[in-house]
Parts: sequence; structure tokens; C-alpha cells
Amino acid sequence: MMPAWQALPSDVHTIGATAPEFASFQDEPQQMRSGAVGKSGYLRLGFEQRNGRTILAENDRRIPYMAQRVIYCDEAMPELAHVFVITTTGCVLQGDRLALDVSVAAGACAHVTTQSATKIHSMDANYAAQTQRFSLAEGAYLEFLPDPLIPHRAARFISDTQVSVAHSATFLMADIIQPGRMHHRDDEWFGATLLSIATSAYRPDESLLFTEKLVIKPGQYALRRAGVMGSFDVFGNVMLCTPPDKAESIYEKVGNSIDLVNGLAFGVSRMPNGAGLIFKVAGRETEAVKTKVREFAGIVRKEVTGRDLRPKFFWR
Amino acid sequence: MINLNQMESGLSAVALMRLLQFGDSTFPIGGFSFSCGLESAIQTKLVRCIDTLREFVLTAVEQSARGDAIAMLCAHQAATLADIDQLLTIDRHVHARKMSEEARTMTTRMGRKFVELNCELIKNDLLAQWRNCIETSATPGCFPVALGITFAVQRLPARTAFVVHQYGVTATILSAALRLLKVSHVDTQKVLYEVNELSEDAFLEASNAHLSDMAGFSPETDILLAYHTKAHVRLFMS
Repeated sequence: MMPAWQALPSDVHTIGATAPEFASFQDEPQQMRSGAVGKSGYLRLGFEQRNGRTILAENDRRIPYMAQRVIYCDEAMPELAHVFVITTTGCVLQGDRLALDVSVAAGACAHVTTQSATKIHSMDANYAAQTQRFSLAEGAYLEFLPDPLIPHRAARFISDTQVSVAHSATFLMADIIQPGRMHHRDDEWFGATLLSIATSAYRPDESLLFTEKLVIKPGQYALRRAGVMGSFDVFGNVMLCTPPDKAESIYEKVGNSIDLVNGLAFGVSRMPNGAGLIFKVAGRETEAVKTKVREFAGIVRKEVTGRDLRPKFFWR
Repeated sequence: MINLNQMESGLSAVALMRLLQFGDSTFPIGGFSFSCGLESAIQTKLVRCIDTLREFVLTAVEQSARGDAIAMLCAHQAATLADIDQLLTIDRHVHARKMSEEARTMTTRMGRKFVELNCELIKNDLLAQWRNCIETSATPGCFPVALGITFAVQRLPARTAFVVHQYGVTATILSAALRLLKVSHVDTQKVLYEVNELSEDAFLEASNAHLSDMAGFSPETDILLAYHTKAHVRLFMS
């Protein structure tokens, strides 16, 4: 049975109206109104296993959200459906609403990524909102590894991700958050007004596995503080839902380190309710954080599928 | 600053005594064995002096006010209404938000101890029922919920429960700091005095929030807790 939230239409138009942290940002932009045609993207991707490989059986879209055609570019894992998602506007603006809905059928496997970083522009009215829904059936495997999020100064962004994951499925998701456009100007550094990023995961019977809600509001809660970001600039948050035996072998292989000289810290924890693992990285440079996230993804790929991650594209 | 009107409208001498007893860092629920990531922070030099210690404490207190304290206030309200189903929901949500194993160990161990001990002190049906829920594994038994219930059944106001909750966070870290870092008692008392200055605003914010508003952002602390789990030398349990 499908979880109740999946039967609902996307709530991307209401999440920002009901979240208390966005109460003071309800004004409409002077340009196109929030959620207008062209500012309300929808993308539904349905992956299924067919003749020994995974196909994109469903692809429903509304601009500015879209997906490129599936490519099978992974020699070590030729059945893996590899999809780039795109927003044609190139960036996220005030009043934008984006809804992503991905389902992976039993035994299917997919890798979903973006073609570039998600840039959230400066705002003087309203906010941008995103919802992401993932549903993984038994034995399904999904890597959702978008490029970094770059909140420009005065950006306001709310994101709500909900995952339904069957016991034998594996779901890997990474968020990499930059402090702004790096090396751009001083007030760009942690200059976003408000970022609210929530993720919850459930079993198909709707029992709660975990919830994490990150609210980054530099004007109210200092970021340059021991325990928050300290001397670090870039944050990587990687969530892995996978069966306990796989989680344990991955946990054993992932190290923890805090290195102030080289500006990189990372650590892995077991999530509640046997959900899997969470891997957090803090670094000074995006590249170092990306490399660490990729390393973790490589261990996951190997432990869960027995296959190696393909070599990094030289331009990515 | 302390508002004198609030003080005068306040509590009976017995209620204030209760507040001191339950808020005392020697209240035997095991708080002394946790450092909330401070041990690793000192090992890795993220905390190295009184200034970085102050920042670390401020972060912990702020995260607590934005997270656990909201759940604690919700539990206080639910316990006032004797709504056991709501208490179970709140407890499940607190537990599901503890992404670090050590944080889960700390909250469930202290929560259980707190309820067990209080059942010896206070004869109350709801408290006994909650103890039973924990013992039968019907609920994880997180500390904020245990605190909310204990204060509600004694008719101690939500504000006092908030104070004890937040004081506990600061006192736990600072008492660990005295054992781990070269700081004096005067230094740690200064930090305590300073941090507590911010508590009224934090209370007002937390008391206006709903359970689903629990949030936070503390990557360094999260990484420290993960680091500590695999660390070779450990004096503390977190």
C-alpha cells in the first residue's frame, strides 16, 4: 500500500505558508507571483526493472523541472539508470516551487543527479520551496546525489523531503551546502537569510524511522561558533537507508576524523530505528567535501551491490 | 536581568526546593558520565580555552532550546492533560530526531533513571504508567519527556521545567570541562552565569513552538559525537 503522503498532491505550495520560520516572508514578489506557471516545477520519475535493466517507466514533468533521457553509462553497473534532472531556469528564484517525486519499483536501481549546482538567488520578497518524495520498494536501490546547494546572500529556502523505504531497499541521499558563492564577497559568506531543510523517512507501513530538520538562520543563530560550523565553511549531509547487515559493514569501513590543519572533519553514526547510517562532513573547500561524500558513496555501492563506483568524470 | 515582578508572583518555598533538587547536577541520573561531545572537542582541539568552551556551551544550550526543550514543554502540557497517547507520540519524535547513537544512549538512559527515581519520591499514576511503558519497551523513554511529566504531575509550571532542562545541559558540559580542560571554577561559573542570562527569550520562543518545529543545526557537534563513538581513549560516555 502506498503511504498516505504519496496519494496527496504535492504540498509544495503550502509548506512555506505553514512553517513558522517563514511567517515573515509571505509577501508576493513584484515580478511573477509565487508558484505561477513557469515557477511551479513538477517532476515525477518512476523507475522499473525491465529485461535485466532499469528503465524510466514514468516521466511526468512541468517546467521548469525536467529530466534528460536515461543513460546507461556505468560499465561496472550497466543496468543502472542514470538520470540528470534539470531546472531550465538555471537557478531558483523567489516564489519558485519545485516538486520532485521519485519512485523505484522492486529490484530496480537508479542514480539521479543534477547537471550543476542548485543556486538559490537573493530575495526581497517571498521564498523558494522544494518538496522531494522518494518511494523505494523491496530490493530497490537509489543514489540521489545532486550537486551542491549554493544559497546566495538573502536567500530564503524551504525544503521538505519524505522517504518511504522498504526493509530491503537502499536509499542514499547527499546534501552539500555551501556558505554562499565562495570567494565572492564578504557578506555572501553565510549570508542566506533562512534555510530550512527537513528530511523524514518511514517504512511502507508509515512507521517513522527518523526525522531531521536543519534550520540555518545566521542572523539569529551564529554559525561561526564551536559546535556549529566553527572554522568550517561547507557542510555535507549524507543519509543512507539500508538493511542493518549492510549498514554495519559500511559503518566498519568508514572512518571518522577531525583535522583542523587541513580543514576537514567527518563522522558516521547509526540512525535511530535501524534506519541506516548518517555521514556528516564539514570542510573549508567544496571539492574536499564532495570527494569525501563520493568516497562514502563508493563504499555504499560496493557493499550493497558488489560493484565499484565509476571513475569520476573529469569535468565534474 | 531578573524581573522582580515575576519573582514575587512566583512559587512556594516547597516548589522552589523541588526545583533545586531536580535541577541539581548531583541528582543521580548519570549526567556526570556524559560530556555531550566535549571530550572529543578537546581531544581534537576544537575546544581549547575558555572562549571556545563558552561557544561550545552556547551551541549546546541553543540546540537544546530549539529541540529537546520544545518536546519537554509539549510533554509537560500533555502530562497536565494526562494524555498518554500524546506522550508516546512526543517520545517517538524525540527519539527519531536523535541521529547520533550516543545522544540516544544519553537521553534514554537519563530518562529511564529519572522516571525510576521519581517513582520512588512521588506517588502518581501517570508517572507509574510511564515507567511501565519504558520497562515494557512500549516507548524509548527520552529524558525531556520524563522531565516534562515529572514536573507536570507535581504541578510545577512549564517555565521551571524549562529552567531545569537547560541548566542540566550547561551543568553537564561545564562539570565535564572541569575534568577535561585547564579551566578554573571561576571561569566555568562565569560561563554559567553568562549563558543563563539568555534563558527567558529562549523559553518564550520554545513555549510558542509546536512539536514539529523542533530543529537545529550543529554539524561540528554531530561529527564530534560520531568521532567519540569510535575513539580509542574515552573517559565519558559521549
